Amino acid sequence: MGLVTDHLPGALLPLPGGGALLTAIDQVVNWSRANSLWPLTFGTSCCAIEVMMATGAARHDLARFGAEVARPSPRQADLLIIAGTIVKKMAPRLRTLWEQMAEPRYVIATGSCAISGGPFLYHSYTTIRGADEVIPVDVYVPGCPPRPEALLYGLLTLQKMIREGSTLARPGQVRRPVLAALPDGMTLDDVRAEIAALVQETATVDRKAAAAVGAAFAAQDRV
Amino acid sequence: MAADLLPLAGLALSPDALVAAVQLLCPAAQARPDCDRPAVKVTVGDWPELAGRLRAHADLLFDLLETHTAIDWPESGRIELVYLLTSLRRGHHLTVFVDIPRDDPVAPSVCAVWPVAQWQEREVYDLFGVRYADHPDLRRLFLDDDWQGFPLRKDYADAFMLDRPS
Repeated sequence: MGLVTDHLPGALLPLPGGGALLTAIDQVVNWSRANSLWPLTFGTSCCAIEVMMATGAARHDLARFGAEVARPSPRQADLLIIAGTIVKKMAPRLRTLWEQMAEPRYVIATGSCAISGGPFLYHSYTTIRGADEVIPVDVYVPGCPPRPEALLYGLLTLQKMIREGSTLARPGQVRRPVLAALPDGMTLDDVRAEIAALVQETATVDRKAAAAVGAAFAAQDRV
Repeated sequence: MAADLLPLAGLALSPDALVAAVQLLCPAAQARPDCDRPAVKVTVGDWPELAGRLRAHADLLFDLLETHTAIDWPESGRIELVYLLTSLRRGHHLTVFVDIPRDDPVAPSVCAVWPVAQWQEREVYDLFGVRYADHPDLRRLFLDDDWQGFPLRKDYADAFMLDRPS
């Protein structure tokens, strides 16, 4: 991967048609990155029960989106899900963990505490007012704590950002952070139906359509 | 399991009998009927000796110091130490209150009676600034070592804290 991400853009871009080829490679790279997020287990308070345990367990099953390989080591993780309050003493440790993670790395801040300090905003001698005072955050998932569905929604939002947002030609540039709040009026059944449809869509292949695309490529090559 | 560690089922003292038994050991102990659990208030001078006897006395057997915490009362100038005791073998509970002056908060350590008090006293020192005589290792527990002040005192304030806009 290092060869592809570090040297390929410089070699391809001067060639005729290199930009288009690079875009195709971007799509493959972003697709693989988005679908194999390895979260770091970083639970500091009650959100960890919803986020790390309930969402990872069988009923909600984060594994459906390729993000189930929770790692206890930052060296092996590329997604930091901040689940809980960050206090003054924890902030330098959080920064260290984030710096130890491999690039490209992504951060989801879940719950009021990690977004703004939440219930500890006023008259607190120790709570940091939002994890983004310490590290950059890609997706905010509001809630106190967020339901597992909300975290799944946040994860899908991050996957969308990764698929659309980054290109090998400009490494390090990502999309602006977003707030992945469930839209007003959306119910649990809506979320379930949407996730079911999404799983159905990504899990099935129309062989005839795929064969037609392949044939079109082959015809292009012959010309 | 050794025979003397078996629970003495059904031998828990009633709240009134418990307070009476404590008052036999320490006549100056005042009952605190305003508490949920049986509770007594003792002077700081009586407390170290009473602690040892609460643990050793065959009818009481308070073998577990569940929690040790404190309450800051700035208007009456005192810090109230709270000890929640449990007897695992008897199955009864007792709360002990000890008042110490707020401007010179020195208290006797009960580490020798309940070793778990080492960390609990460090926590109270960390947040309320109570200094325990003969504590083997009285350092801050939760806050950074260079922290100034004791945050759970009612008059604590620092530059980091925000006031709620009115």
